[in-house]
Amino acid sequence: MVASSEGAARGRQRSELPYRMLIAASTFRRLVRARELLIRDTHGRLTVRAVAEQVGLSQFYFIRGFSALYGSTPHQLRTRVRLARAQELLAAGVPVTRICMQVGFSSLGSFSTLFTRSFGQSPTSYRRSVQVPRSFEGIGIPGCFGLLARLPPSNSREATRA
Amino acid sequence: MLQIKLTSLMVEDQTKALAFYTEVLGFQKQMDFPVGEYRWITVAAPERDDLQLALEPNVNPAAKAFQAAMFAQGIPLASFESTDLDADYARLTGKGVAFTRPPMAAGPVKVAVFSDTVGNLIQLHQPL
Repeated sequence: MVASSEGAARGRQRSELPYRMLIAASTFRRLVRARELLIRDTHGRLTVRAVAEQVGLSQFYFIRGFSALYGSTPHQLRTRVRLARAQELLAAGVPVTRICMQVGFSSLGSFSTLFTRSFGQSPTSYRRSVQVPRSFEGIGIPGCFGLLARLPPSNSREATRA
Repeated sequence: MLQIKLTSLMVEDQTKALAFYTEVLGFQKQMDFPVGEYRWITVAAPERDDLQLALEPNVNPAAKAFQAAMFAQGIPLASFESTDLDADYARLTGKGVAFTRPPMAAGPVKVAVFSDTVGNLIQLHQPL
């Protein structure tokens, strides 16, 4: 929110309109559509500029309106979506280098740094923490509760190979 | 006799939600303690701590889909009463709150709608 409020402050200097954050119905629909585009883009192919263009908003208004509506900038949401996808792929046993490319990072270093900063642990240590320990296998724990939502059915087999 | 003393809203991020509901809207924190990896957080209007709102983590995929769909349709998931809607509208827009509907008369009340930045549209109403 810090970055976006700085942006808003710059905008305010330009024009001090009384009801500047009243979002018209048509703009609201554009912003909702933009969020859908960002959430679906787990590969990180769309830039913020491209999304703004697709929904027909100026990049300046897009970032400002989006932040006020959703509490984070389009860029922050974009990063969150990609890292969440990376978490799923890590849990599924996909190699880190492949994940890095799949969610649209060009360097392993920047992916790993961003992941660690967001979740407090590196991609490999995250993988270890969510995979089913070998000792649990065969006990007959149904599914493995908390992980059920994000693990594919093959995961317990994958884990024992790691 | 049954009474309604507590209701809840699903929020995308509890920390951000608590900040918004207290610092921006002006409610006061009543409870905040850890429950597993999440927190039990309630807020209340000043001097009305008998009526509390819980800010619950929106982690159920079904609830997330519901919340996103209602938001996209422009439908508020709660309504707070204001004693002076125009003043609250001016105060909140001044803090950067995004309104999707400015104050307007709707039958026996005046209403306005804003985004709480953690996934919900919220209505304000003032009896006329």
